[in-house]
Amino acid sequence: MTSSPPNANSSLAKAGRYLTFSLGAESFGLPVLNVREIIRLCPITPVPRMPEYIKGVINLRGTVIPVLDLRAKFQMPVAAYGERACIIVVQLRNPAGGSTLIGAIVDTVEEVVQLGETHIEATPDFGGSPGTQFILGLATLNGGVKTLLDIEKIFLEDGPIVISQTLKN
Amino acid sequence: MGTDDKESAAASRLHKATELICKVGEELAFVMPGEDASLLPINRFVLDLEDLPATDAPATWTAGLKIARTWLDEILDGSGKFSEHHIRLFNGWHAYMSSVLDAWPEGGNMPAWPPDWPKPAAPVAGKPVAATPATAPVAVVSATPSAPPASSTAAPAPAGNEPSIRLNLEEDLDLLREFHAESLELLQSIEQGVLVLESTPTDAETINSIFRAFHTFKGGAGFLHLDAPRNLAHELETLLDLVRRSELSINSGIINLILAGADALEQFTEAIAAQLQGVDAGAPIVVPTSEIIRRAKAAARGEFAPPPAPAIAAPPPATVSQALPAAPAAELAKPAQAVSEPVPQPAPPVKATASPPAPAREAVGGDPAAGFVKLDTAKLDSLVDLVGELVVAQSMVVQNPEVQSIVSLQFVRQLRQLSRITGDLQRTAMSMRMVPIRGAFQKMTRLVRDLAASQQKQVQLLLEGEETELDRNIVEKLGDPLIHMIRNSVDHGIESPAERTAQGKPAQGTIRLSAAHQRGGIVIRITDDGKGLNPDRIRAKALERGLIRPDAQLDESEIFSLIFLPGFSTAETVTDLSGRGVGMDVVRRNIESLRGKIEIQSVPGQGAKFTILLPLTLAIIDGMLVGVGEDRYIIPTLSIRESFRPQPGMISTIQGSGEVVSVRGRQTPLLRLGRHLGRPTKASNPEDAIIVVVESGDAARGLLVDELLGKQEVVIKSLGQTFQHQNLLAGSAVLGDGSVGLILDVDTLVKAPGQQKVSATATPTSVP
Repeated sequence: MTSSPPNANSSLAKAGRYLTFSLGAESFGLPVLNVREIIRLCPITPVPRMPEYIKGVINLRGTVIPVLDLRAKFQMPVAAYGERACIIVVQLRNPAGGSTLIGAIVDTVEEVVQLGETHIEATPDFGGSPGTQFILGLATLNGGVKTLLDIEKIFLEDGPIVISQTLKN
Repeated sequence: MGTDDKESAAASRLHKATELICKVGEELAFVMPGEDASLLPINRFVLDLEDLPATDAPATWTAGLKIARTWLDEILDGSGKFSEHHIRLFNGWHAYMSSVLDAWPEGGNMPAWPPDWPKPAAPVAGKPVAATPATAPVAVVSATPSAPPASSTAAPAPAGNEPSIRLNLEEDLDLLREFHAESLELLQSIEQGVLVLESTPTDAETINSIFRAFHTFKGGAGFLHLDAPRNLAHELETLLDLVRRSELSINSGIINLILAGADALEQFTEAIAAQLQGVDAGAPIVVPTSEIIRRAKAAARGEFAPPPAPAIAAPPPATVSQALPAAPAAELAKPAQAVSEPVPQPAPPVKATASPPAPAREAVGGDPAAGFVKLDTAKLDSLVDLVGELVVAQSMVVQNPEVQSIVSLQFVRQLRQLSRITGDLQRTAMSMRMVPIRGAFQKMTRLVRDLAASQQKQVQLLLEGEETELDRNIVEKLGDPLIHMIRNSVDHGIESPAERTAQGKPAQGTIRLSAAHQRGGIVIRITDDGKGLNPDRIRAKALERGLIRPDAQLDESEIFSLIFLPGFSTAETVTDLSGRGVGMDVVRRNIESLRGKIEIQSVPGQGAKFTILLPLTLAIIDGMLVGVGEDRYIIPTLSIRESFRPQPGMISTIQGSGEVVSVRGRQTPLLRLGRHLGRPTKASNPEDAIIVVVESGDAARGLLVDELLGKQEVVIKSLGQTFQHQNLLAGSAVLGDGSVGLILDVDTLVKAPGQQKVSATATPTSVP
């Protein structure tokens, strides 16, 4: 890839393919490389005594995987899942080796887009506000702004995180 | 009939020999001067050829095998590489042996012994006793009887300090791995062989198999230039060769020497394993061998060198020695006759025909030709997992309402056939993971032998049900608890011979170790006829340690189970208390980690009995599916004592410690599962709900659930990293309808703090 040398302060998103999805009115993207598959919302077995954003576990063809609610994880207002709600199954590399599958519930899956370097800007610094470390960058596409998420960091972080504030321009 | 059998046996042996010679020929094609390619395979095939019954083989055949052995040993003991000279010799040998094979069945003229080969070192077997009137070639007859084994000249003199070996991990990595795996098998077969020898010291098959094991070890070690273990194996091999050829009769000294040697080789093997895993890679490995080599050499000369002061493995007083000297030398010689006796012998009766292997043989190594495949266990595990999924998927199809609405007899039949096949497939896949418990049991024989010897006790260990199969993961983890318990039985259960005689018991104590299938699980029992556990002293000790209150009302079994409490025993109580103590809490923890249970029975003065109940496999559990509100949870059936619908008045609240349910006069603390889990429940009234009493260790607890949904075998799935910080759940399983059921961790539930009835709703705690 021809991206600029890594910047110590901001992890600049790389050009490439992204899957875009929405939570409420906001739009996000995550690297397609991380996406294993997209499945329809199915019955989720709740796991007791877990934080609210961990919805439970599902059976993905024989493998039991946890499912997170991204709205809850980002502390966005709770809303009933609509017709178009999906689970994006994300593959995360473990620091110790191997990989883990985690499902993330989103409101709608939009599309897969090819983002060039021209589309991507570094994360604006909102005065050290929390959450910026989970963002790879912002992409402007068709007039809308999409937040590109560093999904590995998000799922490795225990507890809910604040991300939507950073977008209030 | 008899002659037919004999003929067909001869034919099949000839067929095998032809096959092996062909394989040697194939391997020879890969041999290059100055390289070691194909050396080990050829060695292997020649060993196999040597193993074929030789009773009626032509003399040329036997002599040909001997000469090949000599050359192979020259290479293995030397550079480990083929020289041009040896390649020429082997190619000639292959041609020669092939023509011997051609001439063999016709009884025609045997090819002449090649003039450039050394004359056969030892006298060849007598003329074939079978119909074949083969004439021995001229050159063979002149050999001197009982020439020293050709390889003994290569015996290295160990230096004053112990030699060390270094592994060439970079170049030989794969070879070392192979060598390590093979060594483990060889060492095990040596150890098991020695145990057979202790009871039947003249068993020629066993002596041969130990001899071959050392020989193969030597070959492998020599090939990798691991001189120290190679030399040791060589000496022991020489010693066994003498025994094999009845020039030396076996005695407890030799047996101990073999064990000591095997121990040293095992240390090498372990060190190699450690380095293969990257521990101290490249560091020199030193294992003391010179002492054993010295003793082996002395023994080979017929002198019995006593072991140095603290015996490595002292001979036990009774068990071994009584069996050994009794062996008449003549009988020992008999099986070996066929090979080394210069005088032609008429076909001896059944005994020497080597066709029916002694039952002991099977215990030693099994039939090498029985066809086994070595398999990566990860592949096996994933196969079992997948088959488990298949069974679940199959039942999802069958239970699908749309499928069930199909009215077609043929379709129903087909579905039933699918179910049957998946069921069979699952059983087969599961059985592939099953191994006999024999391996774990036989280690105990050695342990008892050593322990008894060191304490001047006489103990015999009887094994039963060694063929009982269970999951290999369980067998692996069972070793430790068994060692602890057997050790305790010998240390504290069995009395000294004098004490026993005084009590009118036989001087020799008996420990019985048995395994059997029972109730869909495995029961392992350890019974001894020692002094048993003393409840009064255990109680006193527990009181002293502050484990029980002075006024505690305990029945006998409750008192016995005190010995499983951590902190019950410390080192100083071991000798002074009649009960068992060392590490019993560890034993119970291990057994419980295998989802098993352990129970004690004991009669003072007559002995103790420990019963271990284990599931057949760790991959599948028998689960009770319970409903709490809309949720379904699985409770391992093995942990459930009973379940019932509570009657009014059975549940009461004890101030400060929560609710209890009274079951037949016993107060069992109660846990409302839904409330504990922070999940809604259906039943508002305990009388509409069900209580499931679960136990973990000594503690029991009643779990209040809405309903019982049925028993089910489930394949356990890990919940993965996301849930690693919680201990409420032991795992999960895919249920028949494809959804996920959570398996409760009974241990955590039993230990959970009591609930106050007033607390409205349990607040969900977040993960740390």
